[in-house]
Amino acid sequence: MTTVVLPPQTGSARTAEPLIEVRNLRVTFPSSNGEPKEVLKGIDLAVQPGEIVGLVGESGAGKTTMARSILGLPPPPGRISAGEVLFEGRQILKLSEPELRGLRGRRLSVVVPNPRAELNPLLTVGRQIASMARIHLNVGSQEAQKMALQILRDVQIPDPERRLNAYPHELSGGMAQRVVIAMALICNPAFVISDDATSGLDVTVQAQILDLLAKLAADQGSAMLFITRDVGITAHFCSRTAVLYSGEIMEMASREDLFLRPAHPYTLMLLAAFSHSPTLRESWSVPDTGVRRQTRAGCQYAQRCPIAQPVCRAERPAFAEIAPGHFARCHFPVRPA
Amino acid sequence: MSAILTIDNLYKRFPIAGSKMVVQAINGVSLSIEPGETLGLVGESGSGKTTVGRCIVGLLEPSGGSIRFRDTDLALRRQHRRQLAGKIQFVFQEPNESLDPRMKIGETISEPLLPLKLDRETRRRKTADALALVRLDPELLNAYPSELSSGQQQRVGIARAMVTEPELVVLDEPTSALDPTARAEIIDLLRRIQAERNTAYLFISHDLSTVRFISHRVAVMYLGMIVEQGDAETVFNRPQHPYSSGLLSSVMLPHPHLKMESSVSLKGEIPSPINLPKGCFLASRCPFVVDRCRHEMPPQEIVGKRHAVHCFRHADVAATVPASDTFNTFMREAERILGRAVPGGAVPPDHSIQHQLAGKGTST
Repeated sequence: MTTVVLPPQTGSARTAEPLIEVRNLRVTFPSSNGEPKEVLKGIDLAVQPGEIVGLVGESGAGKTTMARSILGLPPPPGRISAGEVLFEGRQILKLSEPELRGLRGRRLSVVVPNPRAELNPLLTVGRQIASMARIHLNVGSQEAQKMALQILRDVQIPDPERRLNAYPHELSGGMAQRVVIAMALICNPAFVISDDATSGLDVTVQAQILDLLAKLAADQGSAMLFITRDVGITAHFCSRTAVLYSGEIMEMASREDLFLRPAHPYTLMLLAAFSHSPTLRESWSVPDTGVRRQTRAGCQYAQRCPIAQPVCRAERPAFAEIAPGHFARCHFPVRPA
Repeated sequence: MSAILTIDNLYKRFPIAGSKMVVQAINGVSLSIEPGETLGLVGESGSGKTTVGRCIVGLLEPSGGSIRFRDTDLALRRQHRRQLAGKIQFVFQEPNESLDPRMKIGETISEPLLPLKLDRETRRRKTADALALVRLDPELLNAYPSELSSGQQQRVGIARAMVTEPELVVLDEPTSALDPTARAEIIDLLRRIQAERNTAYLFISHDLSTVRFISHRVAVMYLGMIVEQGDAETVFNRPQHPYSSGLLSSVMLPHPHLKMESSVSLKGEIPSPINLPKGCFLASRCPFVVDRCRHEMPPQEIVGKRHAVHCFRHADVAATVPASDTFNTFMREAERILGRAVPGGAVPPDHSIQHQLAGKGTST
């Protein structure tokens, strides 16, 4: 096992060995002006066994890039330009493709949004789920079918025997999402990434899926990174939440700290958007000029920040621990009153 | 009361081609909207919300019942198209799919003015006014939709609806495709326009917290029926239909300690509208179900001022949870949490919005 004192998370009260640790992850995309555009700008994140960590951000923040890059699959044409991902003591980004294939779906899995696009329309649900077990766990087809049936029961699909023989088009959106979750969970992965997996669903179905994920995480002891743009979910579902903005984690804290004592002006702006108070929103945002300059130096948020000072445009703030377990990348974090 | 829109016992069925089966999408919907009022229409996907909206604007022909706009029967909308032109407008869910990618923003916004037979100069002025109303830069008149963010695209969708100065706008999930900040801006915008022009809205959404903040009244739909309808505050604070209660219990506000109290957690999914269940449509999912519910459709009962519910056991449903004003509590909390250390000094409490919320209910 490695003994490192690097990532800020270990400075908190948590002392256990993290299950997965992302260090200084950088992903770049080629751009038309020749200078590669950095979409993830040095992500540090650790998740403990059994922990559910939220990652919130608006479109374009880099959420999906992050979900896929952790598995060593940056969305093309992006590429991982720096950083490492440690999972169960192994350097994921240095593994060969066959080694990675053995890990993905088996120990590490991802639940994607838009389940219908992910399922093969020509194969029955049962075959698709069972193939995960056959490939990764080396079980016979009979055993795999049995496991598929059990996992369909676990994800609370009504009438699971019949659904095994259903084709994806015969399923409702909520049902298809459960099938994708079943596929992600059938091999008892140690780490599950849920990439906006509930956003297309009705609130009632979403509530059922969240209950299910929490229960399965608890039963199997698996950890989860729950990626969403709905901060309401992370306030209730995740023990810790990281706020992603423009490829950087701006703030990370326990749910109590993040939602009751937010410190980063971006987090405050995001929460103000849910408060339905125009006054609060106006006080935490600056009028949108429509111009997005890519700033190399300085804080990524400086342009939109109502409390930005000259230093914010010149110097990138450090990801500092402003209270035990509460981190913010800001020169002037808002202190609790 | 002079309602601007009155829907009475509306039905809509879609025959399935090549079979004798029929999708019973709307099964007896009655509602009314007054000038300057927002009625929130909520429910799961498949409940028929969008179909109601489409029948109102004439994109679909009802199979039964009537829709009246003031005194005009909309079944005869062709005969009355001159008076009706531009009076009822629609805003679609997906801003990027509902704008023609080959049309400039200015052309898109002015298109609804064409049937009004206005001169070119008036059209130009109205288009510019609509753009200003949604706070978009006049330079964007010559831009194409692809050059805009999705929040800006939705502003264009709203400008296009508002350009004819409609009296009623049907908004079909106008904010679901947007990020939280863009969503909040659109909601502010809609409220401001309503305050200025007294426009009535039918706000169709499955986002209950947004509905709570924009609606005066709310109607809860399930399988083509309105199972509960009343003042937003009344329905949200003390729902009397198990389905409303279950829907509300799934709302997650961004505050770790605030949750809607409910004794109902809905399991399973909405049944198929092809073979409607006998009796109450919710019976298969309802924790309050009694034998009678499986055989008999509960009639509508008036349980308070403008508050109607279809449930035999509404009194029991209401009694299981204490009335709570979670949404107002959340707003006060947000003010406390976000109001500290506000740039440029303390923010005065936002009385305008508190007042608006309080003024909507019957309880205050």
